[in-house]
Amino acid sequence: MINALVNIGLAHFLVLSLVLFLTGLLGVLISRNMLRTVMSLFVMSVSAVINFVAFGYYCDSSMENANMISIFVLILTVIQTIIALVILYKIYQANEFLDAEKIKDKEN
Amino acid sequence: MVTNLIYFYFLFFATICCALGVIFAPMMYLSAIALFLFICFSSLIYLYLNSVYLSLFQFILCGLFLSAYIVLLIKKIGRINLRLGLAPVSKILVSSVFVLLFGGFFVLYFLQEFDSSLYSFFNTVVEKSFGSVNFKHYLYPLSLVGVFVLVSAAVLRVFLDNSLNTEQRTETEESKI
Repeated sequence: MINALVNIGLAHFLVLSLVLFLTGLLGVLISRNMLRTVMSLFVMSVSAVINFVAFGYYCDSSMENANMISIFVLILTVIQTIIALVILYKIYQANEFLDAEKIKDKEN
Repeated sequence: MVTNLIYFYFLFFATICCALGVIFAPMMYLSAIALFLFICFSSLIYLYLNSVYLSLFQFILCGLFLSAYIVLLIKKIGRINLRLGLAPVSKILVSSVFVLLFGGFFVLYFLQEFDSSLYSFFNTVVEKSFGSVNFKHYLYPLSLVGVFVLVSAAVLRVFLDNSLNTEQRTETEESKI
């Protein structure tokens, strides 16, 4: 047990990635403010990037594949976040709040 | 060896704490600060894994630009001191159970399917692919992705502006009636 904790390997990073992904998922499910939901989605994406980089480091000596995929994922994540923020800003301009449940009530 | 171990576990817990801070922070500005710290610590994790360029890339793109953009947006809508509420306790409990079950099933599936060896999982992936990736080959599709996203963002903006204007027009017409 102690040996597994001391010898840092791929499994440690996969555990970290899984915990971050689940944290982000929990954030998406429980937060009422939509800005925080977007931030939680970002946390989920970063957990995926950590996964790629860890696999690249431990299983691919050149790291080129992992870095390339990670850069792709990061760029897409940032662009997706910015677009989501712009949409949220427009929603705020229309409704004066960003609470998902209030917006749902207003629609009803 | 010991320093390395301490450094890894520090990064491990700091990243998780910052992710939890993003979700459970009581104020909006605290949530933004937690996100910035999360980006910094995850960049340090990439650095730990010898991905210097990726680390710098994430720190500059996300840490400096995205965080600044989020803070500016929050300031613009005047919600920097907004108290953030969570969903009702029952929903939090149900969501937590769902997330734990999801994580548990994922780990069980992984262990059963790949005979508790992570390397065998990676080998199955590698066997299906061959050759190495050249960075230059990806510059063209990368630029295409950028162009497509910018165009779609511009179209989306026009659509949103139109829908907003139509909504305001109908509201004024209704008030006149």
